[in-house]
Amino acid sequence: MVGFDPFGPGARDTFFRHLDFRSKVAILGVATFLAFLWDSPVTTGALAAVVVLLCLLAGLRKEYLLRMGLIMLPFFALVLLTHGFLNTYVGRTALWTAPADWPLVGGWLWLTREGLLYGLMVIFRTITLVLVIPLVVFTTELDELVVGLVRLRVPYKVAFVLASTLRFVPLLLGEVQSIMEAQRLRGLETSRMGLLQRARIYSRIAVPLILGALVRSQQIEVVLASRAFSGSAERTYLHTTRLRTADYLVLGATLAVAVAAVVGLALWGVGRFHGPL
Amino acid sequence: MAEPIVLLENLSYQYPGASAPALRDVNLRVERGEFVGIVGPTGAGKTTLCLALNGTVPQFYGGRFFGRALVAGLDTLEHPIHDLARHVGMVFQDPEAQLLTTSVENEVAFALENLCVPPEAIRARVARALAAVRLQGLEKKRPHELSGGQKQRLAIAAALALEPDLLVLDEPTTQLDPVGQEEVFATVARLNREQGVTVVMASHAVEYLAEHATRLVILDQGQVLQVGPPRDVLAQVEQLEALGLRVPQVTRFYHLMQARGERLPTLPVTQDEALAQYRGLRGRWRIRSDGAAVAASPPREGPPLIEVEDLRHVYPDGTEALRGVSLRVWPGEYVVIVGQNGAGKSTLAKHVVHLLEPTSGTVRVGGEDVRGLSTAALAQRVGFISQNPDNQIFTTRVEEEVAFALRARRVPEAEVQRRVAWALEEMGLAPYRDRHPLSLPKGDRARLVVAAVLAMGPDILIFDEPTTGQDPQGARRILDLSRRLQEQGKTVLVITHHLYLMPPYAERAVVMARGAILLDAPLRQAFHAVDVLRQSDLQPPQIVLFARALAAWEGVDLPILTEEELAARVEVTGEMEHGGV
Repeated sequence: MVGFDPFGPGARDTFFRHLDFRSKVAILGVATFLAFLWDSPVTTGALAAVVVLLCLLAGLRKEYLLRMGLIMLPFFALVLLTHGFLNTYVGRTALWTAPADWPLVGGWLWLTREGLLYGLMVIFRTITLVLVIPLVVFTTELDELVVGLVRLRVPYKVAFVLASTLRFVPLLLGEVQSIMEAQRLRGLETSRMGLLQRARIYSRIAVPLILGALVRSQQIEVVLASRAFSGSAERTYLHTTRLRTADYLVLGATLAVAVAAVVGLALWGVGRFHGPL
Repeated sequence: MAEPIVLLENLSYQYPGASAPALRDVNLRVERGEFVGIVGPTGAGKTTLCLALNGTVPQFYGGRFFGRALVAGLDTLEHPIHDLARHVGMVFQDPEAQLLTTSVENEVAFALENLCVPPEAIRARVARALAAVRLQGLEKKRPHELSGGQKQRLAIAAALALEPDLLVLDEPTTQLDPVGQEEVFATVARLNREQGVTVVMASHAVEYLAEHATRLVILDQGQVLQVGPPRDVLAQVEQLEALGLRVPQVTRFYHLMQARGERLPTLPVTQDEALAQYRGLRGRWRIRSDGAAVAASPPREGPPLIEVEDLRHVYPDGTEALRGVSLRVWPGEYVVIVGQNGAGKSTLAKHVVHLLEPTSGTVRVGGEDVRGLSTAALAQRVGFISQNPDNQIFTTRVEEEVAFALRARRVPEAEVQRRVAWALEEMGLAPYRDRHPLSLPKGDRARLVVAAVLAMGPDILIFDEPTTGQDPQGARRILDLSRRLQEQGKTVLVITHHLYLMPPYAERAVVMARGAILLDAPLRQAFHAVDVLRQSDLQPPQIVLFARALAAWEGVDLPILTEEELAARVEVTGEMEHGGV
């Protein structure tokens, strides 16, 4: 599992791991709600900053953040340019206009200030949504996730399947890695191949991967049955979750923030694109 | 008579779509408190028999089922598997595949939770089960962070927590190193002896079964060939070897003496028995003190083929897997690298094919620093065969599999055809060239991977744990193959912890522990360096230990490696010494 868990082993004892799953779901809910409620670059920017900060406090590895950033960079650039040039609904303060003698675009293609800001807001919103899910999922032990979901009235079978799927991901990634290693050991040098040939070689990974996954899932089914698992919701739990002071604080705070955001928006337009902030 | 825990009556079973039954007319009765070992070659039906004991066969797989299976008085056809789970605890072969949760205590609690046991009672039973397998104190640890042996002990604890009438273990140690194997057998034997847990265990580890089992069942092609105490069953040396099975090495040694016309009342099956029997002969046998002295290392000429210098490797998580390792291998050598899990054997080998980047130090192949070469380029010179053949098969036809990499490297088609034909012929796979690789038995799939690697024309072959998960015959086939390749001039490196298999093959042994080389010596010397091996949690083969005990007893030097060598050193004098022993 080395290299998969974006939170290092050191993250195990941060405050975030000790929060009840329900508190984390509340954070997830409010962050998502605010991300869609607001469309001001200032407020969404602040929200994204808070989420990034929470991630770092929860022990998210900086390399993981950087890697995510690098992967998202082209997307961000595209968003910024599209909105900057083409979004003329939010405002038309031109920062730059294509010279009139340019073919096709000359004279009417503008880069607008509002468009750029709107693009920035979309980027902040994306950052919030992209980071808040791993923040909740990877800081929760899968066992707690199951118990937490059941507490939230998700059927046990669904919760168990979800947790098992999450458990499967690193195993499959490990498998993919070892299969690709095996391909290199056979003398296949994908870095020197054309796109088409490379795609053909990669598609071969599917053969051992799918068969391996089938074998493994069958093994797990046999193991489950032998451990008296029937999928029945009627079962007991060694650890049930309990809300502690910190959880009540988090729940209270998230609720307060949500209410304040709605009131602020309704009364003073805080968080609106052309609002006071 | 008390009710047996297991009663199988004329049990026959055929998997859906299979052409032959997996079990045929099996009759077996297991009493409370017994430890029954199931021995048989791959495909004999051992796993199927184990799975029939908790109803997985036939309830999960379907298929045709005849006869009757009663476990703890319950008919396995009438009770669902999750009900039978209360009575039968199961432990499977793959330690990874049976971990279901993310903490040790939750793992043990899982089955109890499913059975609606109240949390307080679960806590007590978890504590008891973990204590029984000596994992107490690790409750909060993640199962994935445990060693192989600990994982299997955890699986045993998870089964024990159910307080079952019967504990069934299906080859629980085949994927473990010797320490892990020792841990598991010690745990199971203690549970059986001290707590009266009834045990049914399929295993190839005959030395351990001989020591601990009360009865052995020999299974072949789905049929029970023999049932009886280890002493009776294992005495049928020829019959067992004809099935491709092993007997304990001490048994085999006495059998060799018997074949020389020695009359022995019984064949010993454990080392203690073997020693007692030798002492009982009171000098009738004498050990000749001449013979195989420790051979000097063969002269090495010219430059080494593989040259590792002061190699260090630190994994991203900070584990220092290699701490300054230096090794030279000359053309045509056959080197075995042994050591416990985590000793750094595979990490070392992966540097030779540049799958890993040295943290410091250098690796040269044929005089060239591998840092400047890609793995794919190195694959032309170094064939690396890793453990699981199924991760290395990418196509749907045997012939295509061997041609796959050649075609991808744009080797001319005529040349591809020539090399494929040659490699398939070499591996004895020519008749199967149009078959689907996965329709071949596991041993043949492993050979197919070797064929595909050979087609690249490497002159070095590295086998990473080739014998793990193979039965004795399968293991020997792969090793025979490796020797043939060496005879053709290839240089062979084998990574293993199956020491007893290596004497006929390897000339030189490299013993590794905790990222360092402890000893690099001729095999004979290394296998008698008991203390060094122990530092890497390894034990020499039983026959070496037995010979060392004899040597100490007789005050002679006895550096033998095999049963045959030992037998050749024994002289029968024909008379018994009288008096004090």
